[in-house]
Amino acid sequence: MVTKNKRLKLAALYTVAILGASFSIFPYLYMVLQSLAPWNEVDRRVIPTTLTLRSYEFLLTGGETGLPRPWFRAFFNSFVVTGVDTLAMLVVGAMVGYALARLPFRGARVVRSFLLFQMFYPSIILLIPTFLIIKYLGLYNTYMGMILPKAVNLWAIFMFSSFFASIDKELLEAARVDGASEWTVLVRVILPMSTTIATVVGLVLFMERWSELLWDLLVVKDQNLMTLNVLLATMKGPYGTYPGPLYAASVLLTLPIVITFLIFSKRFLSGFQFIFR
Amino acid sequence: MRKYYEVRGWLLTAPYIIYTLVFFVIPLFWAIALAGTDWNLVSPKRNFVGLDNFITAFQSPKVAAAFVNAFKFMVLFVPLTLAISLAIALLLNSLTVWGNIFTVAFFLPYLASGVAMALVTKGLIAVNSPANKLIVSLLGFQPPWLSHPWWATMVITALIAWKFSGYYALVFLAALRSIPREMYEAAALDGAGWWTQFRKITVPMLYPAFYTVIVLAVGLMFGIFTEPYVLTGGGPNLATHTWQLEIYSQAFASFKAGYASAVAILNALATFAGVAVVRWIITRWGRAYGYEE
Repeated sequence: MVTKNKRLKLAALYTVAILGASFSIFPYLYMVLQSLAPWNEVDRRVIPTTLTLRSYEFLLTGGETGLPRPWFRAFFNSFVVTGVDTLAMLVVGAMVGYALARLPFRGARVVRSFLLFQMFYPSIILLIPTFLIIKYLGLYNTYMGMILPKAVNLWAIFMFSSFFASIDKELLEAARVDGASEWTVLVRVILPMSTTIATVVGLVLFMERWSELLWDLLVVKDQNLMTLNVLLATMKGPYGTYPGPLYAASVLLTLPIVITFLIFSKRFLSGFQFIFR
Repeated sequence: MRKYYEVRGWLLTAPYIIYTLVFFVIPLFWAIALAGTDWNLVSPKRNFVGLDNFITAFQSPKVAAAFVNAFKFMVLFVPLTLAISLAIALLLNSLTVWGNIFTVAFFLPYLASGVAMALVTKGLIAVNSPANKLIVSLLGFQPPWLSHPWWATMVITALIAWKFSGYYALVFLAALRSIPREMYEAAALDGAGWWTQFRKITVPMLYPAFYTVIVLAVGLMFGIFTEPYVLTGGGPNLATHTWQLEIYSQAFASFKAGYASAVAILNALATFAGVAVVRWIITRWGRAYGYEE
């Protein structure tokens, strides 16, 4: 009787889990299906009767609107901006985090407390002056204008710093006693240990940078430089009557993050567990 | 050795220090200076106007709407998202197989770009869409979605809740998994039921996770931009107008850089105050469980 009760409970749990998971995934599925639907069926049927690539073709050519937009160029732009920024945020995060946690230089304490203050500071106040700085540096409407102000991430520094601080001191001492130089310790001991944290931090940064709208919207006005996110967000006017291509562009926008995440998901979940335990 | 640390330490920290100088310290003072002028972002002429911008902002219905709406979104979003994410975490924690697959599925919404999902939402609630028709047949009437202040607020709240619930659930799940099983076993031996165990063990042990999630969620409410930008433009009747929309439109559509800077400073103050009040409340709540900050 008890086992039967338990089985019923499990069945109920899995039913709820499947319903909830479907609710999470449904918008993605809907987006993909609509992007492949014939145009007279977009937003009219959940599952299209036939599949067509017309919407994607439209993105490439601009179709009959006479309004070709550089969608694939925008896809490339998103990759450049997000890739460079994520890499920079990771490298700087690890560098500064290592210095703050492991090199007891004079002033480290001050830097650390300033970092915390800065992290809780609402960054919106900096928006307009940052825009002006970028303009005066001659970086308005350039890749660098998008990349530079987001090349350092405070949260990444904080995460790396607390991770490096948690590494057992005796382990590092042991390596040093064995005659390893500071550099060898860093490359052979510390970096291999940080792959998990780097995966979690890197993925989160990648996702956030990829979805950034406000800054990229401000700093670029040339369509050929726009990220996919910006191009899509500014596409309300003439493209509003072409929902199919908008779904196709949404798929292009979403797919890279989802695939990247799925590849690293196992390590991400265990890393997340490690950070928030 | 001492000198070695000094040189290496400052050398490795240098990128952060330069960045902070250029993109934090200078903008911070610049913003305060700008807020006292009537500069229009392009003309070489600018006049010092003292506190005029702040006085205008205090009288502006748009700023008032942004201020009120942050709290409106907070009151709706925070309890809703806390309940959903906690439920997801409890659910995931009691699954025996495929736990990771479901965890990934629930986390997927967090990956969505706000722009893409706002467009999907637009499609789902379009008058002729199958999703809208289903809802109409369930409710018995056509919800006025984005044309009614409260419905528009709810649509945006739901969209953000959908995005963040799975992420917050992961924070709760990590905390749940670190609660020692023996605590529940001991409580069960004492005859404590599920609800008592939940109230006396789970909730107190999850307090640090609650703290993290609530502070994150509250901070988020002062920085809403993408969803109303794509869906409503702040309307109807300013019901979904937000701080960031106001700053963006004043500075970069009306070119009132000085005024927008003043609004941005007010936004920062409101965020500080909002987060501080909420932190004060949850810290007091934590004391009841013996947590000291």
